[in-house]
Amino acid sequence: MAWRPLNPPAEGWSLTLPPRLWADLSGHLFGDDHEHGAVLLAGLADGPRGPRLLASRLILAADGRDYIPGERGSRMLTSDFVRDAAVQAHDEELAYIAVHNHEGLSRVRFSGVDLASHERGYPALRQLTGQIVGALVLTPQAAAGDLWLTDGARTPLAEVVILGGNLLRMRPAPAAATVRDPRHDRQARLFGDIGQETLRALRVAVVGLGGVGSIIVELLARLGIGHLVLIDDDTVDHDGTNLPRLIAAEPADVGRLKTHLAARNARRANPDIELTIHSARAEHPDARRALATCDWIFLAADGPAARHWVNATVHQYLIPATQAGVKIPVNAETGDIGQIHAITRLILPGHGCMWCNGLIDPTELAIDMHPSRERQAARYVDEAPAPSVIALNNLAAAEAVNHFMLAATGLHHHDDDLAWVIHRPRTRERDLMIPIQQADCSWCSSAETLGRGTRQTLPEKPTVGGRLTS
Amino acid sequence: MTQLTAAVAAAADAVRANFAGHAVEVTPDGAGGAFVIISDVAVGSQYTPAITWLGFHLNAAYPASDVYPHYTGVLARADGRGLGEAISQTTWQGRPALQLSRRSNRWNPVVDNAANKAERIVKWLGDR
Repeated sequence: MAWRPLNPPAEGWSLTLPPRLWADLSGHLFGDDHEHGAVLLAGLADGPRGPRLLASRLILAADGRDYIPGERGSRMLTSDFVRDAAVQAHDEELAYIAVHNHEGLSRVRFSGVDLASHERGYPALRQLTGQIVGALVLTPQAAAGDLWLTDGARTPLAEVVILGGNLLRMRPAPAAATVRDPRHDRQARLFGDIGQETLRALRVAVVGLGGVGSIIVELLARLGIGHLVLIDDDTVDHDGTNLPRLIAAEPADVGRLKTHLAARNARRANPDIELTIHSARAEHPDARRALATCDWIFLAADGPAARHWVNATVHQYLIPATQAGVKIPVNAETGDIGQIHAITRLILPGHGCMWCNGLIDPTELAIDMHPSRERQAARYVDEAPAPSVIALNNLAAAEAVNHFMLAATGLHHHDDDLAWVIHRPRTRERDLMIPIQQADCSWCSSAETLGRGTRQTLPEKPTVGGRLTS
Repeated sequence: MTQLTAAVAAAADAVRANFAGHAVEVTPDGAGGAFVIISDVAVGSQYTPAITWLGFHLNAAYPASDVYPHYTGVLARADGRGLGEAISQTTWQGRPALQLSRRSNRWNPVVDNAANKAERIVKWLGDR
């Protein structure tokens, strides 16, 4: 893998691109040594360090037809192309971002001709679309953006984030060296000081704080993640059967919220860590809002509701997630033990999802979404507790966190390695799995969902006095 | 309180249209979904009473999720036989009820929806 700069997360406006869209855009821009153009249409969401633009649609400008020799600069988008893209931005309520490439590698900036064209055109374009408009100039390793906001302000893009096997963060120029963190000296010898700063700047959610999730929290806190969002409504079982699988749990923890234990462990591992705690299920509106402002989500809860809402957040808000879990199949009648497997599934926006891969059952989702007082009765047939063993849980947790830390610090060999990993400890196998993507999936294959951000979830029908009656 | 999602609100409207002439009560669940109760649904003279309410939960994940289970007021068969499988006694939304556990194993949001599933449930109950 060629060396490239690692930039820590930046404060300010950002633009995030999902992997397939970036593959299409970078192939268009960097396939030869010439300048090319395109338009990105982007949703909007709050982020951990500032507002996030979320690339939802890519409109490539065909050379010679849509992207032609310019009157003042080397190339320009035709007025027809700009008009059509602007109308689409208006109709779909998405930001309009014109994109072109420059020569160079790790540094880039707009030319004077570029900036003059923004000043001539963008006030009117902003008025036409009613949306944020702007421009993005790229090299393979650097990005600069010029945004014209709907309130009349103008602001630079702090970073462009490319989601893939590695999380690439592109700025106009490589980030300067940072202060050494002596506490993490040994791991910074792998990640570098900027890598360690990257981990410290991230906000990471863990949904489900049981057998797998409690280990993930411990690992993340000790890695130096700066901010954890902890989500689980469950308590430690009164019969104490959770205790052997919860990291650092004590007999006195029986009856306590699992968020309490996870927070205690995280602070013990890193006293400076920032915690956001939601002792609620993943579908609770507060938990969903918290998920939507994270850099990465670990899904360590079994239920279909948690799977559905994390999956939705991945695609709607362009936030990567890793689902980690262990399955120990035991035949209830014969006691036969099947193939145990520990799995980590990387869920990236626009690239296969939990629905496409048959990992959410619509009826089980309906049951799981019932209020707690009705959920068990709605199930009709009671289920026996599944087997669970801490050492097996650790396989999934460690695989998931190792993948994440190497992605966040840009250390995976291949940006396009998005495979899932399955361990089969009984046969001592470890395999990669390629997720399926259904062409008609309304989550990962639909531009109506991908990168739509807050626009997608705005409630449209007001309630009247808390009750509607025909 | 989180307001109804657009899909839930639209589904509630479709249920009203589908069951025109019936009172349809839609109570938000506080998380974007709603509890829906359709009044005065005829379930057939084989039941006592022959007319009851039909209720279900439209959750915030709808239409990705199935609508399951359904509930009615407490019914008995006029012939004195049992109610049969997939029907059980329960309490729903603070009222005594029957739970009708009819999964849609191939739920597809493109063709399945709350209104047509409610129709199917009423027909299934009436055909028993």
